[in-house]
Amino acid sequence: MINIRTKLYILFTIGFLSIGISYAQSESNKQSLVIDILSSKTLNGTAGDYVTVTGQIKNVSQRSIADITTYLSLVDAENKLPVDLEDWSAEKGLYIGTIESGQTLPLSWKIHFVKAGDYSLAVVAIIAKSEIPEVSRITHFKVSSKRSLNPGQVLPIALGTPLVLVFVLLMLNYRRRTD
Amino acid sequence: MYKHIWLKEIKAGLYTWKSTLWLLIASLLFSFTSYLLLTDKELSLLDQTELLWLLSKIIIGVAFLIVTIDASSIITTEFEKETAESLFLAPLRLRDFILGKLLASLTLWFLIFIVATPYILVTSAGTNLAPAFLGYVALLGSLGIVAMVMIIFGISFLYRSAKNTLTTSLVILLAFSVPALFSTNLKNNTFAQTFGKINPINNIFESLDNVLVDYQLSLLNNWQFIYPLLLFCILGLILMVIAAKGFQNKGIISND
Repeated sequence: MINIRTKLYILFTIGFLSIGISYAQSESNKQSLVIDILSSKTLNGTAGDYVTVTGQIKNVSQRSIADITTYLSLVDAENKLPVDLEDWSAEKGLYIGTIESGQTLPLSWKIHFVKAGDYSLAVVAIIAKSEIPEVSRITHFKVSSKRSLNPGQVLPIALGTPLVLVFVLLMLNYRRRTD
Repeated sequence: MYKHIWLKEIKAGLYTWKSTLWLLIASLLFSFTSYLLLTDKELSLLDQTELLWLLSKIIIGVAFLIVTIDASSIITTEFEKETAESLFLAPLRLRDFILGKLLASLTLWFLIFIVATPYILVTSAGTNLAPAFLGYVALLGSLGIVAMVMIIFGISFLYRSAKNTLTTSLVILLAFSVPALFSTNLKNNTFAQTFGKINPINNIFESLDNVLVDYQLSLLNNWQFIYPLLLFCILGLILMVIAAKGFQNKGIISND
């Protein structure tokens, strides 16, 4: 037979445990890193341009976070396809290492606009042993197509030089025959 | 006397329609390449400086190929057509003979350079790289080609056969060109890096990259690429002198 005091003791214990577990869960689900893309306004350009994507990563948690790797995620908005960064960026991933509580670190990627189109860009941070990645807000930008360098100038040279050569060679041949 | 040999070779080599067709084909190749580079949507996305570098490699590559083929037969033909004997019965020094043939081979390089000049100027329009482009292609190309021709002449005196000389020369040219096809990962290999530093064609391409892509225009900034080419010239000269001495000692009739 359990007396009322024991019942109350068990009830309070379960109550405290529930509050503790739910607090721990809310703490673990709370965003620990905040990533911002700072160069959102300056990203538009022409195919062939090199631009720098700058951003920052801030540790907003109460503890230091180790083993963070950040990378760019680029999506071709027209074709609804992720873009292979092989040609777009020399530095695909940036390893941050450890970031202290409250610390803010800069992020920078030099990217090469390869193809015209509309694109969506986000910065993703992966924390080692964490199941959920941290993602920045998405930045949308447009890459306009590049016109050819100088087709007007190259055509006369491309056609003219072989024609001049044919003329010179014919003249030499004619001279040889008349000699 | 070398002038006589030189002019004779130029007249024989450049006076007929058929013997100059290669120059027209080289010109068409440059036309096709420069037009493609400047107008193709994908290729024109390249930086203009990278495009200039690509064109410079094509010019140097074509020049090396044509001069190698010509130099492989320019001396051996005298043995195969049995004109060497009568040539050396005349009061002609071997030095003049070699110098005349060397100048004739370099004339081909000069003609290729002249044909390539309009393409160099049109592709570098809008940049201030045209003088550097012309100057470095002339300097590096001349150093590399002089050395290559001297090595081929050395092989010619050793082999006295156009077919064998041509095969060996083309294999040497191919061996020098292979690192240019390596990917970046392969180029990072220690062996590839060492080979790259002594390889004349690689040094020419690296120097042109340094000038056209990285804007390192001074000779001092390119000395690291120029001195291996000078060493290559000295090596070619030594090989040619040794082979020519051997030829003098054995005589014209020796054909082993």
